[in-house]
Amino acid sequence: MDSAAAAAGATDMTAKTRKERSVSATLAAATCALLGSTAAAPVDAQEEPKWDFNTSLLYYGEDENRVQDVSLKSIIRRLFTDDRALTLGLTVDTLTGATPSGAIRQDVPQSFTRPSGISSYDVPAGELPLDDTFKDTRVAITAGWQQPAGEKGLLSVGFSASKEYDYLHTGVNASYAHDFNNRNTTVSAGFAFASDSIEPVGGAPIPLTNMLDVGDTSNRVGDQDKDVLDVVFGVSQVISKNLLVQANYSFSQSDGYLNNPYKVLSMVDSVTGDTLTRTPGIEGGPSGLFLFESRPDERTQHSVYTQAKYFMNGKVLDASYRYMTDDWEIDSHTLDVRYRWPIGDSSYIEPHVRYYTQTEAEFYRLSLVDDSLVPLPQFASSDYRLGNFDAITAGLKYGWKTRNDNDMSIRVEWYTQSGTVPAGQLIGNQASRDNYPDLNALIVQFSYRFSR
Amino acid sequence: MGVQPWEREILAREDMQLTTDPLEAATDDHIYFSKEASSGGRGFGGGGCGCN
Repeated sequence: MDSAAAAAGATDMTAKTRKERSVSATLAAATCALLGSTAAAPVDAQEEPKWDFNTSLLYYGEDENRVQDVSLKSIIRRLFTDDRALTLGLTVDTLTGATPSGAIRQDVPQSFTRPSGISSYDVPAGELPLDDTFKDTRVAITAGWQQPAGEKGLLSVGFSASKEYDYLHTGVNASYAHDFNNRNTTVSAGFAFASDSIEPVGGAPIPLTNMLDVGDTSNRVGDQDKDVLDVVFGVSQVISKNLLVQANYSFSQSDGYLNNPYKVLSMVDSVTGDTLTRTPGIEGGPSGLFLFESRPDERTQHSVYTQAKYFMNGKVLDASYRYMTDDWEIDSHTLDVRYRWPIGDSSYIEPHVRYYTQTEAEFYRLSLVDDSLVPLPQFASSDYRLGNFDAITAGLKYGWKTRNDNDMSIRVEWYTQSGTVPAGQLIGNQASRDNYPDLNALIVQFSYRFSR
Repeated sequence: MGVQPWEREILAREDMQLTTDPLEAATDDHIYFSKEASSGGRGFGGGGCGCN
C-alpha cells in the first residue's frame, strides 16, 4: 500500500502536529537554508532541524516454498517551520517462490505452460498446482507534503509510484483535516487516485481461453491498465484524557483490468469432477484443460473503519474493527487488537492479535464444469484470495530505546489462512480432496528509528 | 466529552497516536492487500502491486 505511509489517515496527523507545533515554530532558518531561500527567517531558533528516519527490514515467508519476500522500507520525514513537513518513502521488495496457479489437485501428474509461454512445468499427482516461476523485484516510492491551511486546518498532498517487472503504479493523493471543538474533534476528507499499467509476462491472456502449448501465444494480447479512485472521510474524537477514537468511511472504485493474468481454472468432468485431459504439444504444454480466469472490469468497495486508543496506567490498548462490502459480493470483517505494555522506562512488549474473515466473490469457482447444456459463466476465478476464508495473525513486538535515545523494535508474527470451498461447488472426486490452498506465513520485522 | 488543552499530556504521547508506527502500518497494509480481498480503511486503499 503505497499511499498509506504518507497519508496514514489525515486525522492521525493532528495530534502529532500539535506536539510538533512548538518545535517547528523555531525551524525557519533551517528551512530557508534547505530550500535555498534568501528570505529572512525568524531568529528565535533554539532547536536543531528535525529529521525523522524510520527504517525497517522485513522478512515475509510462506511455508511450502510459496512466496518469500525480503523488504527494506524507509520513511524520512523532514519537519519545517509552521508545521510543514516533507515525507519521503522508499521500499524495495525482493520476491521469490511459488503461488497457486488456480488449477485443482489431481490423482495423476499434471503439466502446465509457464506464463512466459516458452516452457512448461510439472506438478506431481495429489499436489496442489503451484507456479514456481514467480520472481520479482519491486521498488516503490512515496512523497508527501503537509502544511497548515488556516489556523485549524491541515492539508496533505502526496505522490506514489512503484515498479515491478510486470506492473507500474502511479498515484496522487490529497487530504484535508480540520480541528473543531477546542481541537477535540478532527474531521478529514481525502482522496487517492491511481493509474496502473499491467504488462503480464508473455502478454495478457484473453479471459476464459485455454492455456496453450509452449510456443503458442495466439490468445495473448497486449498490456492492460486499471484506475483506482479511493475516497476517505474520517472523524477522530478525544473522549477523555485517556481515550481517543476514530471512525472512517472509505469508498473505492476500480476500473479496468482486474484479472490476475496468471491464474487459471481447471475445466472438469461434470460427473467425476476430474480435470479433462489433453495431450501436450511436442515442446510441452498443459496436460489438461485450464482456462484463464475472468473478472468483472469494475469493482466498488465500501468500508467502515473504527479505532480506539486507550491509555491505562502506562499501558496502551489499540483496538480497531473494519467492515468491508463490495459489488463482487465479498463481505469482510477485521478485528485488530494491540496491547503495549511498558517494561521499565525504556522498553515495551506489544502482543498483537488480528482476526479476518471474508465471504467468497459471487464468481469464485473451484473449477469450471464441462457441460454442453450449461454455458460457461461470464466471470470466474479460483484465486484463493477471492474465496471464503478466515485468517488469524498472532504476534509479539519488543521495542526499546538505545543509549542514543533512538527507537528499535523487532516483531515476530504468524499469519494463517484457512478456507473452505462452498459445498455446492464440489463435484464427484473433488469432495474427497483438500481443495483450498491454506496459507501459513512467518513475518519478522526489525525497525530502527532516529531523529536529528 | 473532550479535554482542555492542559489535559493533553497523555494524548500527546507517541504511543497514543492513532498510527504509532507508520512503517509497520504500511507493511501490514501491503501484506494484507496482497493476501486478502479487502484493503484500506485506516487510510487509503492498497495498490501498487501485481501481487501474486
